[in-house]
Amino acid sequence: MENPYIPMPVTVDKIFIEVDTKEIKTFRLAFVNKTDEERFNYRPGQFAELSIYGKGESPIGIASSPTDKGYVEFTVQKAGIVTSELHDLEEGAQIGLRGPLGNSWPLEFLEGKNIVIVGGGFAFTTLRSLANFMLNDEQRSRFGKIVMIYGARTPGLLCYKPELKAWEDRSDMETFVTVDKGDNNWKGREGFVPTVCKQVAPSSENAVAVICGPPVMIRFTLPVFFELGFSKENILTSLEMKMKCGFGKCGRCNVGHKYVCKDGPVFSLAELENLSREY
Amino acid sequence: MIQIEKRLREEAKRLLETKEAAVVLAFGRGFDEEHPMPLILRKPSDAEKIVFNEYCTFNMARHLTEFPPGTKIAVAVKAADSRAVTVLIQEGKVKREDLIILGIPVAGMKDFRSGTAIDATTTGPAVNPVLYDILLADLLPEPKDVSPYDVLAEIEAMSPDDRWGFWSAEFSRCIRCYACRKACPLCYCETCFVDQAKPRWSEKSPSASSNMMFHLTRFYHLAGRCIDCGSCSRACPMDIPLYLFHKKVSKECEEMFDQAAGMCVDAKPVMVDFKVEDSDDILL
Amino acid sequence: MITKIGREKLQEFVAGLMKSGRLFAPVKEGKGTNFKLITDPQSVTLDFYNTIQSPKAVLFPQSEDLVNYNISHDGIASEPAPIDDGSRIILGVRPCDVQSFEIMDRLFNGSGIVDPYWSARRSNLTIIAYAFDRADPVDFYNAFGITGSDEQGSDILMVRDTNSFLFKAFTDKGTKLLETMPFLEKGTADDEKRMTEIVDKGRDIATRTLDTAEIHKRLAGIFDSPYWEEAAAACLNCGVCTYVCPTCHCFDIQDETLFGEGSRRKIWDSCMFSDFTLHASGHNPRTKKSQRLRQRINHKFSYYVENFGIISCVGCGRCTRSCPVNIDILTVVEEAR
Repeated sequence: MENPYIPMPVTVDKIFIEVDTKEIKTFRLAFVNKTDEERFNYRPGQFAELSIYGKGESPIGIASSPTDKGYVEFTVQKAGIVTSELHDLEEGAQIGLRGPLGNSWPLEFLEGKNIVIVGGGFAFTTLRSLANFMLNDEQRSRFGKIVMIYGARTPGLLCYKPELKAWEDRSDMETFVTVDKGDNNWKGREGFVPTVCKQVAPSSENAVAVICGPPVMIRFTLPVFFELGFSKENILTSLEMKMKCGFGKCGRCNVGHKYVCKDGPVFSLAELENLSREY
Repeated sequence: MIQIEKRLREEAKRLLETKEAAVVLAFGRGFDEEHPMPLILRKPSDAEKIVFNEYCTFNMARHLTEFPPGTKIAVAVKAADSRAVTVLIQEGKVKREDLIILGIPVAGMKDFRSGTAIDATTTGPAVNPVLYDILLADLLPEPKDVSPYDVLAEIEAMSPDDRWGFWSAEFSRCIRCYACRKACPLCYCETCFVDQAKPRWSEKSPSASSNMMFHLTRFYHLAGRCIDCGSCSRACPMDIPLYLFHKKVSKECEEMFDQAAGMCVDAKPVMVDFKVEDSDDILL
Repeated sequence: MITKIGREKLQEFVAGLMKSGRLFAPVKEGKGTNFKLITDPQSVTLDFYNTIQSPKAVLFPQSEDLVNYNISHDGIASEPAPIDDGSRIILGVRPCDVQSFEIMDRLFNGSGIVDPYWSARRSNLTIIAYAFDRADPVDFYNAFGITGSDEQGSDILMVRDTNSFLFKAFTDKGTKLLETMPFLEKGTADDEKRMTEIVDKGRDIATRTLDTAEIHKRLAGIFDSPYWEEAAAACLNCGVCTYVCPTCHCFDIQDETLFGEGSRRKIWDSCMFSDFTLHASGHNPRTKKSQRLRQRINHKFSYYVENFGIISCVGCGRCTRSCPVNIDILTVVEEAR
């Protein structure tokens, strides 16, 4: 029996500094053991615990897509003890990885539907995983139209800039990148994410909206989607909670009778309405 | 005690009716007569829920810091409790003018868990509050020839090695439930040092060394402040005699600085005062 | 078959048990007793009502190493800590506490990813239950269909007679263990009768009780009620209730390092502590003590029922007995309407 508390060794293959403040970095990790890599079968929307002995563990959403082979990526904002330590690492360092954990974006439910992806700031990581998964050559035909709306406070705070450019150039999706406030070099769109959603007005017909972002963005974005006719079953989001074990034993991420780590982090708005508001 | 209960109900009702107090901190019935509970009242009609008997050992000063600044609070206090109120005023945690102190002179309290009498071994021997606005019973004669520090004779007679052994054994039983800290009226730190994550001062695991670290730091944080109410020791599920350590530190403070904590609201507490003639012993 | 031993020979019995595995039994501590790993047969006492802390630590210690590591200039060397899964015998468990193991099994052993630590020890555990002969006023195990002398879940049931202890095995493991104790006397027909009498008396012990029907739905319905403020008003937010409880199982995972040597540990935690749900960002979904008390009650009487089909409480009364402000869990649940 594998011990679910013991992390697998991984090496930091590459570090990408995502934003101009350097507070958000993407870590590309490679498995030390081939067997671990084979066992690490994940789906977009899942997370894993990143482990540094002496500091602890931190649950982070998986930012790469399962269609990316040979590595797994995590985009990490510097906040607590573990994430600060991660930010101090250099390429080649060895850390630990425990997972994959949690449910995932419900791919079977999304299949055949038009997908509207809405992301704000740093809370875009597992949406990026989902986007890259759906855009994979072998997967693209499973999904309908893809509309992506992604915003950050400033141009410098947009994550995954090369990919955003590539997505904008693709003909099989519509991409709208916006910033709250541009700078001298910014030639793109300005405006808050909810406003842009209103302008883009994606159709709710046979569509699912997948929304992740800071609470204030979510609060103003939801009414826009209700107005567009999206039902609560067809709006999905991912919750963030303090977690420790990651598989429903330690009792920390309880929201009502659900464990965010095991029953989530992905929930539909309809599911969240049935839960106590303790998140 | 029935008389005190009656007076407490009357005053609570009156203070809430006249809105002189927004909150009254008193004692109520628990699951039976011998197990009362702290009672926090806001409605005059709830005054009848107040009880007072020998098991009402709670130091209600503990709850004073739970309310927003400026809340008018009436608080029922026994002898040691009033000293806690005094320290909280001295330390600026509550304002004297926001408080209506209901003094309860009383002797013969009992520990509801063990049923045994609470005496000068585990708390101070005084029976009268030192600070009050309204007295709920006549002052009682203070017991003579009893020192709160008599109980220390045995532990003071131990050799340093024996004493270390004694405390090591006692602290090794600690389960880190923090009932001592949470029952203490003066442990009001927003984040206790032991819970700090950056940096972490003490392990979360109840090891001999981390337990020692927690308790010693807490004892010293209460040096010159502990008012010997005994709440910590009564709260401890493992019966660790925390009062012994607190008493020893209090005794030394008193000998060095000639002041017992929380006796006079106008006094400058020993840990925030400095005099050239202060004893140097503390530096050794 | 009944076996028995004179009270004066208890130490001999304890010494015998110690030869069959690591023995955990009640030992005097402070003003009460607690289950301890026995190294000296004389330390065991069976003159107690119930222990201060529950027996859960025998399977789920307050702190346990998951990984040991060493941090040096050359990097970090780590190795999983071996799971301490040798055979364990636990003597003197009250029938309500025996049921707590089954409740915890559903979480650690019986659903989702199995917890290897609990699981390994659980399968190597022999339980010698000890029937109650009276009730403490705060107990309420009757509410869960548990009586003072139930053998369910135990390998051996032990009862106390005037001058002796009587034993009856209910599993093969129990039978085998008793067989290895040559000094145990075979019970006579009279002893059989005594055992039945004592067990019957135990079944008749009346504790407080509680209407548990649809309790999880009732609690779900009053989640937003101001009741919780009232119920938690006296609460000090210490963790005693959760640390003495046989079914509270929330834990933390912490790396504890001293001069480069350290361990990643699984350590009991308490939903009553304000930092339990504190995010690294500073956000805290449960800032008020009323929310935390509600979580404790709901976790036991509502969420656990939803997830595992059983109330996560055995009515042992420990939390009430140990509460510094006399909050009584039964009263809190009863009045939650």
